[in-house]
Amino acid sequence: MSPPGRPPHAGVDVHAPSAARARNGARWLVDALVAEGVDTLFGYPGGAIMPFYDALHGAPLRHVLVRHEQGAAFAANGYARASGRVGVCVATSGPGASNLVTGIADAMLDSVPLVVITGQVATTLMGTDAFQELDVFGMTMPMVKHSFLARRAEDLPRIVGEAFRIARTGRPGPVLIDLPKDVQVAPAEHLPAHARSPVDAVPRPPDASLHEALALISQARRPVAYGGGGIVLADAVADFRTFVDATQMPTVLTLKGLGALPSEHPLNLGMLGMHGSRAANTAVQECDVLVVVGARFDDRATGKLAEFAPQARVVHMDFDASEIGKLRRADAGVRGDLRRTLAALTLPCAAHLHARHGAARRQWRAACQQRAHAHAARYDAPGDAVHAPTLLRRLSALAPAAIVACDVGQHQMWVAQHWRFDDPRKHLTSGALGAMGFGLPAAIGAQMQDPRAQVICVSGDGSFLMNVQELATLRRYDLPVKIVLLDNQALGMVRQWQELFFERRYSEIDLSDNPDFVAIARAFGIEALHVERAADVDHALDALLAARGPALLHVAIDTAANVWPLVPPNHSNAQMLDADDVASLPLAMPESATPPPEKPHALPA
Amino acid sequence: MRYQLDLTLRHAEGALARVLGATERRGFRPLSVDGEAQPDGDRWHLRITVEGERGEQVLEGQLAKLYDCLAVQVSPC
Ligand SMILES: Cc1ncc(C[n+]2csc(CCOP(=O)(O)OP(=O)(O)O)c2C)c(N)n1
Ligand SMILES: [Mg+2]
Repeated sequence: MSPPGRPPHAGVDVHAPSAARARNGARWLVDALVAEGVDTLFGYPGGAIMPFYDALHGAPLRHVLVRHEQGAAFAANGYARASGRVGVCVATSGPGASNLVTGIADAMLDSVPLVVITGQVATTLMGTDAFQELDVFGMTMPMVKHSFLARRAEDLPRIVGEAFRIARTGRPGPVLIDLPKDVQVAPAEHLPAHARSPVDAVPRPPDASLHEALALISQARRPVAYGGGGIVLADAVADFRTFVDATQMPTVLTLKGLGALPSEHPLNLGMLGMHGSRAANTAVQECDVLVVVGARFDDRATGKLAEFAPQARVVHMDFDASEIGKLRRADAGVRGDLRRTLAALTLPCAAHLHARHGAARRQWRAACQQRAHAHAARYDAPGDAVHAPTLLRRLSALAPAAIVACDVGQHQMWVAQHWRFDDPRKHLTSGALGAMGFGLPAAIGAQMQDPRAQVICVSGDGSFLMNVQELATLRRYDLPVKIVLLDNQALGMVRQWQELFFERRYSEIDLSDNPDFVAIARAFGIEALHVERAADVDHALDALLAARGPALLHVAIDTAANVWPLVPPNHSNAQMLDADDVASLPLAMPESATPPPEKPHALPA
Repeated sequence: MRYQLDLTLRHAEGALARVLGATERRGFRPLSVDGEAQPDGDRWHLRITVEGERGEQVLEGQLAKLYDCLAVQVSPC
């Protein structure tokens, strides 16, 4: 049997070592990828990228053959999110490249370091509408951190070095290299061997801004820390925890910030925003100083921006200077390295604990914690049916070290609300793009970066079919990913909005004709189980986790189950609804809710 | 509000499209575009007049992030 992560037919072909063949652009690139520290790439071959695939033959790089290029981009994305290293994916020109687009966009919006290599028709054919010619360089311009069109082999050393440097440096993101076929086959013996590109040093925060931040925080009676995905990107999780512990500041986290503080931490009030916790949203609405750490006032987090944290003065710390003041005016903005910023502020801010507002702060903290306690999620749903939040909570207890890759919809929000995260790199979720189909390929990438990790994919019946073909990849590489498919026979999140905001006119959300998911998994050679009664959940989860290889648990859940609490669109985060509130409230329809002028806190956006 | 953008760009493929694309996407309408490649061939100097309702700081911050943008100054005009 081949070990996990290795396909049955993989192996170095001793008859065709790449060094024996004359070095061309493609072989130079393969060597450069190795020099950059790349060990795995995800891709799919085709005409315009054939010289590169020829160069891969026998090279010391593991290529993972996916079954759709979107799977390659998402797998590289999951690999990068879980490891913190640059993910690499490859496709041919034209349709191969266009199939990558959603995965590239996801990496851009969630700041994931990717290097994307696309084949292109020969430079002499470019601009002639040649077969499979598509302007992928132009097409991806708004969704890459940067991109290169390599028109000459001589440019490869600069381009490849810059691509990896840009992808990794500062706020990470995707970089595309479009590689015409003639450049791949051009002689490259004369090109220098590639050396791993450095990462630029992150600028330190200016002292003056640290002083301003400190002055503001010292005046706080009701401070709240609002932590986002920037914390883990800056490798500042430990510094953030030290800051929170030392300052005893009640803390709320964004979807991408989950895990920056352990779920069970007494100061962790949970996620804020549309499906945030009551404790988190209320604390933000009532705080007088909001300390924003690596977060960007995303509309899913803030609700109606003009009414977000209305009493708060804002201290905004971010590496990306363009985020400070973009949507909400910062009373003190600290640009630069988050680790240094947090380290510099921790001790002086901790000194405030017993200063003049010490008593007020203790009271505030107690009130926040009391609210968190009073509104804690409950896992004692009555009835026979499977309650998804209870199942997820149980699974999270059974697999506390697991990396969880989610799809998009209600199940994604249930994971965010009920899984106990203690490391942001273990929560892979398509946050800003919200791309259905992300989960399974991202789980594949996460498993590839660490064959010993326990990887769980939580998907929905709609999302799962968007990249279901990657079950073949799971089988091919014998990856022990465990899939939990929460099947409500609906595009549940859309159904929930139609129920609440479109007067129950259910339009194109019914999936009651879903295929037999257990049979599908088995057809791919993947073990599959089914559960539909709450009483059988524990046993089913045990069986799922005990499976040696990949396995799928198909969970039938109630179509009518909704995600609570919920802040209706264009409402303030103070207006959280629970199941009981719905009947009594006239809800604004999204289309009629033309946002009024955003004053006084919000900047026009 | 009208603003003038003074930019120094790398003379790289796509640089002009990136700047104009980002400017429009961030909510500013170009009114005039004037510029030329520098004689040494590796820089563009570009002056763009735009109008838009959003804050110019946001635009300046976004343009400054473009790899091909070596310098940018946005001033009301
Ligand atoms: C690619 C893509 N298309 C459409 C949407 C809009 N959308 C968001 S959630 C959702 C429903 C997802 O259904 P399912 O995967 O079954 O999850 P559920 O909400 O039922 O848990 C849809 C259609 C999206 N986010 N991504
Ligand atoms: Mg569903």
